[in-house]
Order: sequence, then structure tokens, then C-alpha cells
Amino acid sequence: MLTVALPKGRIAEDTLAIFTQIFGERFVFDDRKLILETPNFKFLLVRNQDVATYVYHQAADIGVVGLDTIEEQGLDVIRLLNLQRGRCKIAIGMRKGEKLDLSKPEIKVATKMVNITKRYFAERAVAADVIKLYGSIELAPLVGLADMIVDIVETGATMKQNGLEVVEEIMESTTYLIANKNSFFEKKHEVLSIYEKINAIIKAESKQ
Amino acid sequence: MILEHEIPEGSKLYFGASAKKKREIEQVASEVLSGAGFEEIVTPLFSYHQHQSISNERELIRVNDNANYNMSLRADSTIDVVRIINKRLGRNTTHKKWFYIQPVYRFPANEQYQVGAEYIDEVRLSAVLNRAMAIFERLHVKPLLQISNIAIPRKLSKLLGMSMESFRHINIEQFLSREIPWLTRLVYLHHVDEIDEVIALVPDEIKGELQKIKELCDALQYDHAVIAPLYYAKMLYYDELYFRVIEGNEIYARGGRYHNDDVTSVGFAIYTDALIEALSR
Repeated sequence: MLTVALPKGRIAEDTLAIFTQIFGERFVFDDRKLILETPNFKFLLVRNQDVATYVYHQAADIGVVGLDTIEEQGLDVIRLLNLQRGRCKIAIGMRKGEKLDLSKPEIKVATKMVNITKRYFAERAVAADVIKLYGSIELAPLVGLADMIVDIVETGATMKQNGLEVVEEIMESTTYLIANKNSFFEKKHEVLSIYEKINAIIKAESKQ
Repeated sequence: MILEHEIPEGSKLYFGASAKKKREIEQVASEVLSGAGFEEIVTPLFSYHQHQSISNERELIRVNDNANYNMSLRADSTIDVVRIINKRLGRNTTHKKWFYIQPVYRFPANEQYQVGAEYIDEVRLSAVLNRAMAIFERLHVKPLLQISNIAIPRKLSKLLGMSMESFRHINIEQFLSREIPWLTRLVYLHHVDEIDEVIALVPDEIKGELQKIKELCDALQYDHAVIAPLYYAKMLYYDELYFRVIEGNEIYARGGRYHNDDVTSVGFAIYTDALIEALSR
């Protein structure tokens, strides 16, 4: 029996669709239920940012979560497989026409992803004042709260609509199948078996 | 403001039943290890040499002596035990088997109670591993024993040009995408009864290292064990045969073979706090 943590929303639906394709049975959560039990799996529906936490503490053996979230949290979990879904970028956005100047003595950056941002500027030996926000990040440069933002970009439309543009890409992110380290060694055959089955589907998709 | 009921985060408090469990674990460990010819040692809480024992010096809790030399609270017992026996007690004792029951402390206020054993100038890891498992048996717990060899990922890293980070994160996708049959078999290797087939396939430099795992398993008096040949963790002294004892998400013990001043020794540490929690459940 493997416990699988899934983030609410499209990633959960996509992952359950993969499981349906593999095992030929429907995996659907009943209305508002957070646990779905089948003979071989227990699926947990959790918040995106909590998936790696559930896996790290072994409340789930495996999980599906974006690489950006894994990098931001820095939890020691196994990155089993790139699922090639949910592709997006973590990028620096500034007001249209402005240029990224890392030689400025003080840079203010607004972001949800404090750790990725701090690491990026620290690696470039730039003293950045990182301001944590929980949403509407695009607003920060417009009202003078920050010089720039670090945010997730899928199409770039939200930034554009708010008069911002991408000036630098920090990383690319896709969803990953992750595993708890002890669960992996304890249930190696089960974990590798599901790895193989999902990997076969990902490979077949990439050939299409 | 600090309220009257508060204790520092990371510190340990045992009372009543949990304190009794702690005493029971330490009593059982003491009986098993004394029965196997190990003598007890209690080392100083303050040490001049802890920076040699710990990979991240920022974890040390530092103080100064009366001549303003740096000292720190004991953050790791192994290297201090071996150093004191070799350098300070060398003329007073020739005994090689030692155990300790004492906590370690890390910045800012982390306390960890440990039971450990060191067998100096001994190459057989089974000489201490079987004692560790005997302690668990006496405590009526049957955790999973994971046997690894840190030399395997190190050699593979050079052989295949892969970073040690790939091993630390157990990057299965990267290993399997190489489509090297023997590497795939190493990823899947789980039980000792599969090891001979894999030994026959791997390159010569890996054969010897797998053989060491096999010999350890053959000398093992414990049946709930798995092999993890690609496991890697950054450690300051265990550099070859290595084991972890795990249950759920907890680590009950770890140990291995290490080299100090050209002397090969074997040892382990049991994490008493994790065991107290498990036995109190």
C-alpha cells in the first residue's frame, strides 16, 4: 500500500488520470473528501505547498509537486521523476522598459518565493532586500514597494497586463514525482514499479 | 518575553513513564554491550576538538576556556571517544571496545541522547552491528536495517561522471536513463539473495565493495534487512560500509566503518530520543 499526496486542482486531476490509464480503473475523489482509498493506494488531497511536507514527514510515501515548490522548501525528499507537466518559469519581472542592474547598492525584491530569491541574489553577491508577499505580487513595483518581483510565469500575460515584463529567468519548473527517503528503501519495489509505469506513459507522450 | 513554563526549543524533557523508558533503554544497552566485552567511557562535555567531528561548525555551541582558547559543547561523541582513548589513555589501557551513554548538543539548544559503541582497530562491522541489533531485540522492537557502502556512490561518481548530489538526492531518473544494465540492477538491488547476480555484472572496482556488503549480511544475525548500494549521505567519518536502522520516518541508529590516524575502526550510535518516543506509543 502506497500513500500518495496530491495538490488540489489540475495537478491532482492529471495525476489521477495517469493512474486511471495505468490501472484501468477510475480514481475520483468523492465530493469534498480529502482521502481516496483503493486496495493498493491511499490518495491524499492537500494544498500544493504542503505536498513535500506530507512526504518529508512520511504522512505520504510519494507525492506530486512542482520543482519550484521543492526548491523553495528545500526539504530532503527524493525527486523520482519529471512528469513533464505544469511547465512554468520562475522569473524576475520589472516595469516595462526598466533594465535589471545588479550593481545597484540596494535592491528591493517582492516575492512569494523567498528562499529561491535569496539564493539567486546571494549567488551573485548582490545585497537584496527580499519582501515576502502572499499574492498580487505584480502590484509591488507599481506602487514603489519593490524594484522588481520574482514570480511564477506561465504565459507572461498577467505581468504584461500589469505593465511588467520578464527581464531574467531564474529557473524552469515542471511537476515531479517525489518520494520519502525511508519509504523508498522500505518499499523499493512498489515505488519503482509505479515509477516505471508512469515513466512509460511520459515517454509515450513525448514520442507523440 | 519568556514565560515561566517555557523550555528552549530543541531541548529534551522526560518525566515519569518516558524517563523510565530512557533508563530502560540505557540499562539494556549497557547490559548487552558490557556482556560483549565493551567498557564504558564518559567523555568531557567541553571539548577543544569538536570542529574535527562535525561537518558544519556553525552547529557547535562555543565557549572559551580561562586562556581564551575556543571550546565547544560535545556535538558528536565518536571522534572524541577515539581521540581520548588513543591520545590520552594510550599508555593506561589497551582496551579496544568502548561504549558511551551521553547526550550531544548542537546550536542553539538541540539536545540528543545517544548510546554509542566504538570498536577501535577492528575491520568487521558485524562486530558492532550485531550488538546494536541485539539491543533492539531486547527492547522488543524490530526496525528495518538498511545496509549501504558509501564507497560505491563515490566510485560510481568518478566512473560515470555523475555528481555526488545525484546520489544524495537518489536521482533514480538519471541513473535509469543511462540504460546501463548493471547500473539499473544496482538501483533495483534490495535483498542480499539478489547480490551475487549483480556482483557478476558490475565493473571490477564496484565488485569488491558489493562483496563487503555481502560478507556483512552473511555475518548478520538479523533478518529484517535491505540493501541500498547507491545510498549516499555526507558524513565526516563513515566512509565505507555503513548502516541505518529505520522505522517509519525515524532513524533509530546509524553506524559504520571509519578510518582515523591509519587505524580502521567500527562503531554506531543509537538515537535514544527516537526510541523513547516509539516505546512510549
